[in-house]
Amino acid sequence: MERYDLIVVGAGPSGLSASIEAAKRGMKVIVFDENEKPGGQLFKQIHKFFGSKEHHAKIRGFKIGEELLKEADELGVEVVLNATVMGLYIDKEVTVRIGDGINHYKGDTIIVATGAAENMVTFPGWTLPGVIGAGAAQTMMNLHGIKPGNRVLMLGTGNVGLVVSFQLIQAGCEVVALVDAAPRVGGYGVHAAKVARTGVPFYLSHTIKEAEGDEFITGVTIHEVDSTFTPIPGTEKHFDVDTICMAVGLSPMSQLLKMAGCEMEDNPKRGGQVPIIDDYGRTSVPGIIAAGDVSGIEEASSAMIEGKMAGVCAAEYLGYCTEKELEETLKVLENDLESLRQGMFAPKNRGKQIEKTEEGIDISTNLLKKGYVTDEEIERFPGVTHKVGVHPVMECTQNIPCNPCQDACKKGCISIGENITNLPFVKNDSECINCGMCVASCSGQAIFLVDEDAGEGKATVTLPYEFLPLPAVGTRGFGLSREGKIVCDAEVLSVKSVPAFDHTNLLTISVPKEYAMRARFFKVG
Amino acid sequence: MNTVVDRSKDIGPFIPAPDDDMIICRCEEVTKGEIRKAVHAGMWTITEIRRYLRSGMGLCQGQTCSRLVKGIVARELGVSPAELEPATARSPMRPTEMKVFGNEEVSA
Repeated sequence: MERYDLIVVGAGPSGLSASIEAAKRGMKVIVFDENEKPGGQLFKQIHKFFGSKEHHAKIRGFKIGEELLKEADELGVEVVLNATVMGLYIDKEVTVRIGDGINHYKGDTIIVATGAAENMVTFPGWTLPGVIGAGAAQTMMNLHGIKPGNRVLMLGTGNVGLVVSFQLIQAGCEVVALVDAAPRVGGYGVHAAKVARTGVPFYLSHTIKEAEGDEFITGVTIHEVDSTFTPIPGTEKHFDVDTICMAVGLSPMSQLLKMAGCEMEDNPKRGGQVPIIDDYGRTSVPGIIAAGDVSGIEEASSAMIEGKMAGVCAAEYLGYCTEKELEETLKVLENDLESLRQGMFAPKNRGKQIEKTEEGIDISTNLLKKGYVTDEEIERFPGVTHKVGVHPVMECTQNIPCNPCQDACKKGCISIGENITNLPFVKNDSECINCGMCVASCSGQAIFLVDEDAGEGKATVTLPYEFLPLPAVGTRGFGLSREGKIVCDAEVLSVKSVPAFDHTNLLTISVPKEYAMRARFFKVG
Repeated sequence: MNTVVDRSKDIGPFIPAPDDDMIICRCEEVTKGEIRKAVHAGMWTITEIRRYLRSGMGLCQGQTCSRLVKGIVARELGVSPAELEPATARSPMRPTEMKVFGNEEVSA
């Protein structure tokens, strides 16, 4: 049996962050992960993250994973992969399956960062091949390079459902519909909007009636539900699909903590069975700390902060840092976490129906029902202004803690104001030089550069474009509305891909002048 | 705290439903009807259901179905799923061949 100061279970964002904080303070740390690759869900996240600089904003998830791994490695953290923790016993003895044997380890502290598992819903045909979790689809696409299917229906409009739908389209799948039993889109509006403008219809207040197929999925029927989630007869809609993705929430994988004797509770707000913890993840068993989704479903950015908290707590528990240092560090981390847990999607606002932004502007009802903001609605948001010449149009309509756009503009055109959750606005006294940095910086792909009058009855729209193959300059096609409907002819004027854009290509299209504020996507004709 | 232990409660008879033949636990092929019938046969806790039907005892160890089974049992009992005690957590956390489970300390 080997002894470590700290044993971390799970090499995801929280586990790695925890190991880094602990190792920094001189602890001997080992991390076990049952997967063949470290990083947990981070390595599947190919989209840019939200937040501020401190929260790794506008960096793609897998890059954050690589950075964490590198840091852990430099600090001498041992990360053991293909190592499945089998049990967590009294006195913090851990059994781990490595290869064809069971190894015993003794940790003086344990951080459990095992994450969560995907939920499923049942309907006739749900056990047929082709019904998969959205996370599984993401694993297939982004880790193994396998296309999950050709025609996909996505159930669930939370951020997972929205982000994975977009990635499915990027992988070359056709997403036929986004379906949710809830009456409103659950995830970020900007994530919904970038899917909607490619032409994917949203069916809110709908659920799956049944899936068809003998050997595998060949089709699916959905129907509308009323406010009590009772199906409404005669509202059936059928789609030919070979894949149904389910993004209907996650459940904490907390069994190890339960086995270790930590006090548990069933807390629907945290996603199910979770340990009872203090503000920093410390469980009822001294020296056993929980971090990340295992103690309550959130997302990777907060998991990383929770991991850091857990790491410092472990260090203090064994005397590797003073109580004073612990308190000071936790205070900083708490502020970090608090700044992430702001805005409309903050955990404290879960389940609440928010009608107005912090600025007092009515939320787009169409965005919540159909996934896109209408041409009329978009005008009332502060990022949407009209000017002579090229100027940024920021279709950011919900208060989320995110501000890369503000730093992206070297000319100071864009401001978020006091609070990180504020909607961005264009400052009148500064000149846009059409560099495109703001467009590429927006993790929500919600910023466009528009010249409403480029001469000869034309307008130009520069939009973020993350699809391959890139259309060549001169390609003719159509301008799609926010709804994803063809509204006008369009021609590609330029395609910009520079390293600073980090794979967000900037497509400038020419459209008839009257479509300057309507065309938001390009489709090859 | 646990209302589920109140065995004097009358949960009524088992009423067949059209989706009773739907498989809930895929690994052990347990249907919704079997789970509902088990509740009416007196299996009111997740542990009893698991021992009686083997739901959640297969390859995935309930990773997929435990939440679903809990929901079905709770509905049958007329309680919130949160009131049901989850199954005991014990080693091995993942399905493991006995030859591996018995092969101690190979690399350490």
